[in-house]
Amino acid sequence: MLVTWRYRQLGTIIHRLDPRTKVISFACFVLAALSFWDLRFLSALLAFGVFQIFLARIPWRDIRRVWLLIFLMASLFSLITFLTGRGGFEFYAVEHEITRWTAPFRLFGWQPVIPVTAERIAYAASQFLRIVTVTSYATVIPYTIDPRVYGITFHRLGLPDKFAYAVDLSLRFVPTFARDFAITYDAQRARGYELERARGGLIAQIRRLAPLLVPVVIQAIVGGEEIIDAMDLRSFGVRPRTWLMSLHYHRIDIVWIFFSGVLVLGSVLLPMLGYGGFWVPPFLLK
Amino acid sequence: MTKKLFYLIIGLIIGALVILLAYILIPLSQNEDWNSWLSASDVPIRFLFVGIGAVIVLGIYYFSRQNAAWTVGTREVVYMGIGAALYGVISWLFNGTVFAVPSVSQVALRPGIAIPILFGYLFGPVVGFFTGLVGNTIGDLLSGWVSPQWSFGNGLIGLVAGMVFLFGDKKKSLNWLLILSAIGAAIATIVWVLNPGETNQMAAPWDQPLTVIAGVSAIIGLAVVAAIRFLWAKDLDVAASVVWGSLGIILGIGFAAIADIWVNGYSFVTAIVGEFLPAAGPNLIQAAILVPLLLVAYKAVQKQTGR
Repeated sequence: MLVTWRYRQLGTIIHRLDPRTKVISFACFVLAALSFWDLRFLSALLAFGVFQIFLARIPWRDIRRVWLLIFLMASLFSLITFLTGRGGFEFYAVEHEITRWTAPFRLFGWQPVIPVTAERIAYAASQFLRIVTVTSYATVIPYTIDPRVYGITFHRLGLPDKFAYAVDLSLRFVPTFARDFAITYDAQRARGYELERARGGLIAQIRRLAPLLVPVVIQAIVGGEEIIDAMDLRSFGVRPRTWLMSLHYHRIDIVWIFFSGVLVLGSVLLPMLGYGGFWVPPFLLK
Repeated sequence: MTKKLFYLIIGLIIGALVILLAYILIPLSQNEDWNSWLSASDVPIRFLFVGIGAVIVLGIYYFSRQNAAWTVGTREVVYMGIGAALYGVISWLFNGTVFAVPSVSQVALRPGIAIPILFGYLFGPVVGFFTGLVGNTIGDLLSGWVSPQWSFGNGLIGLVAGMVFLFGDKKKSLNWLLILSAIGAAIATIVWVLNPGETNQMAAPWDQPLTVIAGVSAIIGLAVVAAIRFLWAKDLDVAASVVWGSLGIILGIGFAAIADIWVNGYSFVTAIVGEFLPAAGPNLIQAAILVPLLLVAYKAVQKQTGR
């Protein structure tokens, strides 16, 4: 169960990008994706997100589980939107009915009838694409940024020394605490502890978490005191800190950031000019 | 200064609630369908709510910036790191990828919520905010996705829990804070009562309307918080931590759910009934049980070590 960061050191173009470039471009890409409701624009952005994953050579087996979960969630959210018709009312005043689905059952004398309209289908598809597009951009971050450079990345992005170091520290502690949870969980199981047991009510289930949670959290807090002493003895925070690793922008980073900036600018300007809004494919309206 | 600060914070929170209420009541008074307002295409209103969250945080900081609670030393840096790592790992463990803990009547178990509240309450608002914000981001990264609005909402939970540091007397204002939380929970429950068919977006089974337990979970959670506040009235830390934590959950989860109107294009009702209630209700119940357990254990260790 030990956590290993999903990062793999490869020499792809995405891996070679400065981590700051990846963080900046991630923010720009997400902002761009959230600016559009047009299926054509969203498809293009999704295609770019998937292209990035291919460029980074992230193996499908590594992301399969997450993507299946996201696909399931996005599909269900979109299905709910489609069935209820909610969320899309502000985009269209008139709905073009394609067919009308009548449930083959009755609930207390009421027979559900769902109008299948072109607008509902287009809105549900847009919502699905937005969620999947954002996921495609988010996937690249944990797989291509070395966890050791998170601290300096955020420092160079403008975060004060102390906060950047806290980010660094938290990422270093993740595998340690995951191991502590694994050890504690095994030790409690040896004493007959059953976390997954469904018996008992809600309160009983929550209380059942205490034997796992309390030892690890308290041990972590107590252990923190030793780290504080060690850092104080080395005069932490007295002067601006130095970082072991250094970051440098290369030409490809400038190009990538420029491209991200153009994308954000476009995502702001295009909706103002009337492009990128809600769009219903003409074949649905026939 | 403390009294003035308290009134200011309460004023900011009440102001946010009044604006929210106005946006609910104005369309209703004009016989408009309330699904048609506060929607994904209405950019200024969407940003208004994101702005309200940011203004509350900045306002609190600006007017209390001289307070020692905002100081960040070695201790705070270390506990920011520890808190965020713990929260990240626990979030990852319980999001269904490692431990498959069954949900009870659509109430998903999310014990990690106790961490930003505990760290905020013990080490201050900065540690609490960082623990929630960075911890949730780490949990998301480990799981393979990122949702900044929920990470910011989690940060708010820790920040609000740590705001107890801004007041000299922890006992003061607990009842008022409890009432504020109750107003938030009541608004959400009323929205659910008016829209009982709205589906749960936060716990399996996904395509089902909220169960009664999930629908009233915020009220149950507040009842548990109130019971602890009065039954453990003599143990001030237990009472104060759950009350401040509950307000943090209402404001933090409320912020994230409302931000999803913009981010995911949900309607207002979906955001409140489908997201806020199933997330805030269970979190309130879990925080009310787990935070006192962790706090008592911490105090026992503190007594032993003398630190």
